[in-house]
Amino acid sequence: MKTIEDALNNNLTGLYYGNRLILPLNCWLLKVIIEDDIIMDFSPGSKAIYLNETESFTEIYFKQFKNLKEAVTKYESIKLIAVEKDKDIFDFKNHFKLVVHLEDEHKVTIEKTDEDILFIE
Amino acid sequence: MIKHGKRHRFHRITQILLSVVFCLFFFNLKAAAQTVADTTAKAAANASGIEHILPTPFMVIPFLLLLLMIATGPLFYKHFWEKHYPKVSIILGLVVVIYYILFLNNYHSLLHTLTEYISFIALLSSLFVASGGILIRVDKKSTPMVNVIFLLIAAVIANIIGTTGASMLFIRPFIRMNRNRIKPYHIIFFIFIVSNVGGALTPIGDPPLFLGFLSGVPFFWVIDNVWYIWIPALLLILLAFYLYDINNKKDEGKDISYSGKIYFKGYKNLIFLAVIIIAVFIDPTVIPGVPSLAPLPFGLREIIMFAVVYFSYKKADKGVLKDNEFDFEPIKEVAYLFVGIFATMIPALQLIASEAHTLGDKLNAGVFYWATGGLSAVLDNTPTYMNFLSAAMGKYGLDVVDKLQVAHFVTVDEVYLQAISVAAVFFGAMTYIGNGPNFMVKSISERAGIEMPSFFVYIIKYSFIILVPIFAVIWLIFFFGRG
Repeated sequence: MKTIEDALNNNLTGLYYGNRLILPLNCWLLKVIIEDDIIMDFSPGSKAIYLNETESFTEIYFKQFKNLKEAVTKYESIKLIAVEKDKDIFDFKNHFKLVVHLEDEHKVTIEKTDEDILFIE
Repeated sequence: MIKHGKRHRFHRITQILLSVVFCLFFFNLKAAAQTVADTTAKAAANASGIEHILPTPFMVIPFLLLLLMIATGPLFYKHFWEKHYPKVSIILGLVVVIYYILFLNNYHSLLHTLTEYISFIALLSSLFVASGGILIRVDKKSTPMVNVIFLLIAAVIANIIGTTGASMLFIRPFIRMNRNRIKPYHIIFFIFIVSNVGGALTPIGDPPLFLGFLSGVPFFWVIDNVWYIWIPALLLILLAFYLYDINNKKDEGKDISYSGKIYFKGYKNLIFLAVIIIAVFIDPTVIPGVPSLAPLPFGLREIIMFAVVYFSYKKADKGVLKDNEFDFEPIKEVAYLFVGIFATMIPALQLIASEAHTLGDKLNAGVFYWATGGLSAVLDNTPTYMNFLSAAMGKYGLDVVDKLQVAHFVTVDEVYLQAISVAAVFFGAMTYIGNGPNFMVKSISERAGIEMPSFFVYIIKYSFIILVPIFAVIWLIFFFGRG
């Protein structure tokens, strides 16, 4: 199982195809922001998102978008609030604010937000 | 996402409402058509001395349809609207253009409108791109008083770089400053103050005033005649904000250290902003000796502004663009929608001017204030301003298409233009769709993770409670029983 720390420290990259985002990590998701949509419903019946987890990656299908690259332009990003699987979800110190950039050739880079990026939990 | 089911219900309700509105509209049109058709009045002679036949009232339908779709699209059929709004806008605009060419043989009105559109979009796009390359970070503990001062400064600056520029520039530092105590009311008051009311002092401040300037209202007329209305309105809204903010104890007990510093990135773009402001005056009618490029539908001013768009983007700090999550989509949306708005509003402008000439004395300053305001709240305030300016001028048999007649009108009786200018700008704050920057600020806030109130909650919980009483006070003091 890959942790968020692993992904950040080793600069692991993910993938995207159409509306499918594949992150090279396993985590609990609390909040996802894509464009101006704030998604907090990760239940199986969610109309916004379908989540699938394997041993080494997490895939997210954004049901309301056909193509992520069309929705998220050059200087934009997808933002996530995530928690390591083995950490206390109730402790705010364990909440990671991550920014996902869609690069060329289906590649996805992940970084922690810095001071300049606006991201309110 | 949970809103989806509600959206379907709203969609159905909207369909019914629209049907009712259109039925009523058609009945009214029939009556209006008879009145107007009888006279088949000719519009007042325009600048070139050409007399134009009035369009049929049915040609107002594309305008109403477009405004209704702008109001309802992002709320009730978001994904359809996001995909198809350029086509909708262009097709509705083309209906009017073709009608004017084939049936009225009126090329002058079209060319005049095209010239205004190019000036309008040149200003907005240059302000948008130049300010998008600037990043301000205020690392200071936010208190109600610090927030009030911040909003006041941003409101004043909105008159120099426009409400669009100021909103883009200041919303992020405002959110950052308040990140530990941010609530939706912070954003809503920002929309009230910076995105709308603040920009009422100069033609650069808000698009309707700029269009008024392009139509012949002298540049300094606005500040000379609006400042004493602007000050009490702004202070009252700031007071309301202070009362809200003083009760916000969300960050109490949090141990956060602040450096007190203000960080600024993107100095180059300040030069570009200065170039835009100077360029506003580079017009043969403002500075004699500036070469005119007529018959081209643009001048030196527009060329400079479009050059600023190109260079300020190319030269911008890529890190700042990334931090600002810069995207051309908002300005692309404005450009497409306003092509349609400018084209479809031509018949409405001419018909309203003609009707106002007939109605004459029944229209006083209060009527203009509430009518302009009411429509600016739910429709776009730029065409609303032009429609009511046209109507007010119609009272005196003057035509809004003629710059000289507009310049003459402001000397006749300032109260009408005062009421229209103030209402168009102030009431734009009443809804998310009242003014372009409102939606931009909402979108930036949501992208930052702030859950904003819905369209109706915004109106009921904030606009009706805070703005309407303040606007009523403004009406009582400045416009009641005048004109």
